[in-house]
Amino acid sequence: MTKQLRVALAGNANVGKSAIFNQLTGLNQIVGNWPGKTVERAEGTLHFKGYTIRVIDLPGIYSLSTFSIEEVVSRDYIAVEKPDVIINVVDASALERNLYFTLQLLELEAPVVMALNQVDFAAKKGIRINADKLSEMLGVPVIPTVAITGSGINELLKAVIAVASGEKKLKPLKFQFGAEVEERVQKIQKLVEHKLPHLCMVYPARWIAVKLLEKDEDVVGKLKNYEGGAEVLEYAEKLAAELEKIHGEPSPVILASERYSIASKIAKEVAFMETPPRISLEQKLDAVTMHKIVGYPVLAMVIAVMFTTIFVGGNYLSEGLNLFFQGAIQYIESLLSRFLPNLAVTLICKGVLDGLIAGITIALPYIVPFYILLALLEDSGYLPRAAFLMDNLMHKMGLHGKAFIPLILGYGCSVPACIGCRIMETERERLIAAFAVTLIPCAARTVVILGLVGRFVGLHAALALYAFDLILVFILGRVAFKVLPGEPVGLIMEIPPYKKPSLKVVLTKTWSRTKDFVYIAFPIIVAGSLAIAALEVTGFIGYVAAGAKPLVSGWLGLPEAAGIPLIFGVLRKELALILLSEVIPLESLSAVQKIVFTLVSMIYIPCVATIAALLREFGWKKALIITVVDVALALFIGGLAYRLLLLFMS
Amino acid sequence: MFRNRRDFPGHEKPRNEGEVIALTDLVEGEKGVIVKAVGGFGLVRRLAEMGLTPGVEVKIVKKGSFGGPVEVEVRGVALALGRGVASRVLVKPVKDERHD
Repeated sequence: MTKQLRVALAGNANVGKSAIFNQLTGLNQIVGNWPGKTVERAEGTLHFKGYTIRVIDLPGIYSLSTFSIEEVVSRDYIAVEKPDVIINVVDASALERNLYFTLQLLELEAPVVMALNQVDFAAKKGIRINADKLSEMLGVPVIPTVAITGSGINELLKAVIAVASGEKKLKPLKFQFGAEVEERVQKIQKLVEHKLPHLCMVYPARWIAVKLLEKDEDVVGKLKNYEGGAEVLEYAEKLAAELEKIHGEPSPVILASERYSIASKIAKEVAFMETPPRISLEQKLDAVTMHKIVGYPVLAMVIAVMFTTIFVGGNYLSEGLNLFFQGAIQYIESLLSRFLPNLAVTLICKGVLDGLIAGITIALPYIVPFYILLALLEDSGYLPRAAFLMDNLMHKMGLHGKAFIPLILGYGCSVPACIGCRIMETERERLIAAFAVTLIPCAARTVVILGLVGRFVGLHAALALYAFDLILVFILGRVAFKVLPGEPVGLIMEIPPYKKPSLKVVLTKTWSRTKDFVYIAFPIIVAGSLAIAALEVTGFIGYVAAGAKPLVSGWLGLPEAAGIPLIFGVLRKELALILLSEVIPLESLSAVQKIVFTLVSMIYIPCVATIAALLREFGWKKALIITVVDVALALFIGGLAYRLLLLFMS
Repeated sequence: MFRNRRDFPGHEKPRNEGEVIALTDLVEGEKGVIVKAVGGFGLVRRLAEMGLTPGVEVKIVKKGSFGGPVEVEVRGVALALGRGVASRVLVKPVKDERHD
């Protein structure tokens, strides 16, 4: 029988955690979300020396407090699920900051094995680290690794097993704070041990005491549910207030300073500057990519290349696949109609197969190249630089620099753009960004804008629609910013050094994320298209159209027949235009009608695949709210535009 | 384009010896020692966790244009701080011969 082990990877962002994860698990990984959270959860298994090891890659974070959802998720996992070993991945070239996190793992009394990663890169910067001495000081195994090449991975696994099997006893550093802090921590700890024995079964008593002194919202909240918690809380608050009076700082700042001074002391003992660092290639790259003026054209170029690759490549793929599947579906249809009644054939072909094919030919050709490019950008370190350049502009709509990436992607396809919103730190920011993304005209909506307004009314009108949309996004972004509860987050972001992206990391990330998307989105796409096919077959679509008549003709001023294309547009936006041209000669529409039809298609919820992506990222409630708001907005603006345009254009 | 006069190179605010100023008042390449951060509980704590604790030395690497973020180097790591965030960090400038 093989022995089971659970191992978690924890550490700062940009330390090569994914690379280590990939070295450990290869393609044996499942990417998903943490239950109910927009946080990526990657899990994989490997076999080593008779052990089956389940590895979980915790999100990259800088602290174990409660600033971001990532931190809460990681902390709960480490403290409550208690994995057998935590591999703390550490960037050897930024030891001090990384040790700050390590110290918090030790506070949690987690069984730590340290992977001292990127030792090659540190060496290039002239930094050499005495791993043995570091191991001795921390009381945990420290294994130097270079994740990209796989060097040190075997030793890392051996150390993990030695710790898990008890063969290697850990003597983790029990560090003390300065006298004023330490004395208060111990006082609170005594009370916690005495009053809250049940809580001490889950979390170490000393850790609870430290967190209480730091006024950690999560721990404070937990205490309120315990008998005797209020008393402990009151006492801790009193001691924290004393401490703040002595130092003149909020208590979390005092504790962070203390941890940093310990981290700094350890780093100074074990790290040596061998040669003074020279001006590296990356510094030269930064001089260009983050330049006050030159940085912007470079950014524009990166985006242009990304777009061209996604859309030209995607178009080719999409058309090719479409051609293939259209032929296939006709064949299947004729084949099926020999055995099955017409109704069933229509439901299978128009409902199930059309939905599947829409997913394969519309979503995947754009999503796969997007995932590849996103992984490349993530892995190379360019993303934070783009955010740096765009921070100021994004603040105007209540977001910060990072939101620029999903918004730009939205002009291509809303689906990857919605998923891309997870690069924002908090749920609130993710939601605002995703809402803005759904309003940005994607490639399919561009087809409608250019094909109807651009072609028949004029390019200036099409461009005016784009400009109007941009204004709308800014206004609504601001509204969402004001309406949604929570504190806005300013930009505090690490700018990691540039790195040569690893092909292996990029491809495994792409593969796992695509797999995850297919599992989640395809059932929804198929269900949606099946529902519409059912409406059509049963003739209910006629009733729906008749029911929509007051809205379509009365409010929007469109011909009655335009209702059905608008409904079908939910499947894919360009379908709205294709169907419209089938029911009405496009020339017969007035300019106002063309603009109104385009406006409505542009604003109402992008398509069923986007709804699936929203559902995947935010849960059904928020997906529903965004959908309803978008549809209502489209109808409202459409009707308003109809009346205003009639005034001006006639 | 330049929101503040001091965004112009060569137009730094005149300052007195030992004066405490905002991080954003340092020019590119200049160093300062953090005195404290002023602002909401969450922001101040976050800054401390990212290594911007009182007493630590920071160096301004780059200031973004159009009132954009500033890039600082602290504890061997490069960080981008939004202009609003950076203006809440108070520092004491460090004399550096090269800039005198």
